[in-house]
Amino acid sequence: MKRNDEKIKNFQSYMKRKGIDACAVTDLDGVNFFADFSFAGQGDAYLLITRKKAYCFTKQMYAADLKKKAPYLALVDSLDCADIVKKARSLKAENCVFDAASTGYLAGKLFYESGFKEAAGLISEVKEEKTASEISRIKKACAISAKAYDIFRKKLKAGISEIEAASLLEGIMSDLGGQGLAFTTIMAFGANSANPHHINSSRKLKEGEVVLLDYGCKYGGYCSDITRTFWFGKNPSAEFSKTFDLVKAAHDEALKYVKAGAAAKEAHNRVCEFFDKNGKLAKYFIHGLGHSLGTAIHETPYLNPRSLSTLKTGNIVTVEPGLYFEGKFGIRYENTVLITDKSVKILTK
Amino acid sequence: MAKLDADKLSLIRKVIKKQGLDAFIISDYSDIKYIMGPVFQPGEAVMLIHSKGVYLTARSLYEAPLKADFPEIQVEGCDVERSSKTVQAVKKLKLKKVGFDGLKETYHDGKIYEKEGFSNIENFLVPVRASKTEAELRNMKASAKIAYKTYEHILSWLEPGVTEQQTAEEIDSFMKKNGASAPSFETIVAFGANSGNPHYVTGKTKLKKNMAVLLDFGCIYKDYCSDITRTFWFGDKPGKEFVEILNIVKSAHDEVVEKARCGQSGAEIDAIARGYIEAAGYGKYFTHRTGHGIGMQIHEEACLSQDNTAVPIMENYCFSVEPGIYIAGKIGVRYEDCFYMTKNGIKQIK
Repeated sequence: MKRNDEKIKNFQSYMKRKGIDACAVTDLDGVNFFADFSFAGQGDAYLLITRKKAYCFTKQMYAADLKKKAPYLALVDSLDCADIVKKARSLKAENCVFDAASTGYLAGKLFYESGFKEAAGLISEVKEEKTASEISRIKKACAISAKAYDIFRKKLKAGISEIEAASLLEGIMSDLGGQGLAFTTIMAFGANSANPHHINSSRKLKEGEVVLLDYGCKYGGYCSDITRTFWFGKNPSAEFSKTFDLVKAAHDEALKYVKAGAAAKEAHNRVCEFFDKNGKLAKYFIHGLGHSLGTAIHETPYLNPRSLSTLKTGNIVTVEPGLYFEGKFGIRYENTVLITDKSVKILTK
Repeated sequence: MAKLDADKLSLIRKVIKKQGLDAFIISDYSDIKYIMGPVFQPGEAVMLIHSKGVYLTARSLYEAPLKADFPEIQVEGCDVERSSKTVQAVKKLKLKKVGFDGLKETYHDGKIYEKEGFSNIENFLVPVRASKTEAELRNMKASAKIAYKTYEHILSWLEPGVTEQQTAEEIDSFMKKNGASAPSFETIVAFGANSGNPHYVTGKTKLKKNMAVLLDFGCIYKDYCSDITRTFWFGDKPGKEFVEILNIVKSAHDEVVEKARCGQSGAEIDAIARGYIEAAGYGKYFTHRTGHGIGMQIHEEACLSQDNTAVPIMENYCFSVEPGIYIAGKIGVRYEDCFYMTKNGIKQIK
């Protein structure tokens, strides 16, 4: 994995098209995205991207590492947002913007009062189409999570708690080269699987019950996201098997509509129709079909009925239909997929 | 059934009252986790704490389970613009003076609150979160106990030939076997000259006889973090310089334990350790702050640092004390325990 300024360059051509002279980026995820670097916390670094350069305002502590790993950044030893404004002025940048949806309130206020314009959602928009380097990192993160599942299945034993099983799975991902978690692992046994956002407990695994795991790792700063549900033990109940096949079929049905040019809500609506046609089950599908991911686990476009987006080549989204029966069990089947010119490619396998 | 932590809520309500407010908006992920436990992913909920109750708007997916688990919260599902939804709730509840923390809101949301005349109060929750409740202190102690036990285990486990990474794995796995849910940060194991880099990332260096060993690690137990560092000599012929530095660092640590007082600023407590190391002639080799706040997060506010002249360290504040001396390319020593402040000075969390 080599850090690069591809995303800054793409953004600079976007700025040119939109007539933007400079953009202040102050939220941690936005800074890490453009800088292609892993700053540890909010407020560790800010960026001012102009048509020609990317200025990085940061702590002296990061300077040596940045010079080596991200030589494309022009370093400024300050973490005062007023210095970002000063820099923009000294460069005579006229049309300066900041993203109101991701910039903090105090920084945003300072920028606004200094004549910067609000560009709400600007960063999430430019994050949607992934570059080749981003795709290859997400692919790697996805491959690690998919492989971890196979190893996990072999190591899983009755008597283990949800918390212990989550830590077993996380250890496997780290052994396979995963660089931290994409989000908090969900490990649900038995009826706990009926809660899509279950919190792992000390409940122990028994023979003959459902296991649902929703997890992902990071690689080179990028996330993966995968969910698998299976029956632990022999002789799955007929109800489980039937529902499992249905959810998987819904996933396959959805993939037909996850393609460049399609409305992002289309696949979600088709899955609802599919569930309704098969036993009026759409009311048990209680969340959106999917979301995009990148440096953050939830990015736009979303595959849900409220989405106004159109899918494009280079989008990477999750497809995760599920059915949840309170007090009984829940089943979710999720893959991270890449939309290419001609088709859709499953990355988590 | 999960329940809201009554002690924490009453601490928050006290600050709301002290600020002359009726209610406060909390939308930061870790702040909501502090009050409710680990329910959400970041950006999924906004909470409004007022004198009569707690209002919460979250992804509609959570509405039913939350109503079942937290009957005392007034829950409304909402999948877009939760800041506007919160403003509606403020009006329905007829709350007059509402506050928000400008450091924790986006410009978009902060502007919505500002338009309603809500007051921006920065760092509102800092004194609340810094001051641990009895239940929190219990969990912090249990978390520390696991870390200390792990240190004892590693001392007998280490042998020539093991790598830093293998040692880190053993530390992590021993902590989990003893009840931890996870390490509280990436375990640092530095052998020999690697200890001279305070930001060292655990590598593949193998342990040999007569080398310095630096271990910096901690775990999460019931959502609470521990953090300890030990540096020792592996072998029976410690280098003269190592012994000298270790003694200075340990004494600087002990000096803080003896002299830190309730109500001193973070900078004043930092100066105790820094002053000692400077007097010993190693001032320029102590390159970081003396300590950081600790709780549900490994690094919390109310730090023991030179620039923290504003925040006094009050009763039940928890923090690390971790002086160190680093001579790049040669050797480094850090010695760290966590403490809580009492009326009569600081006490080790153990």
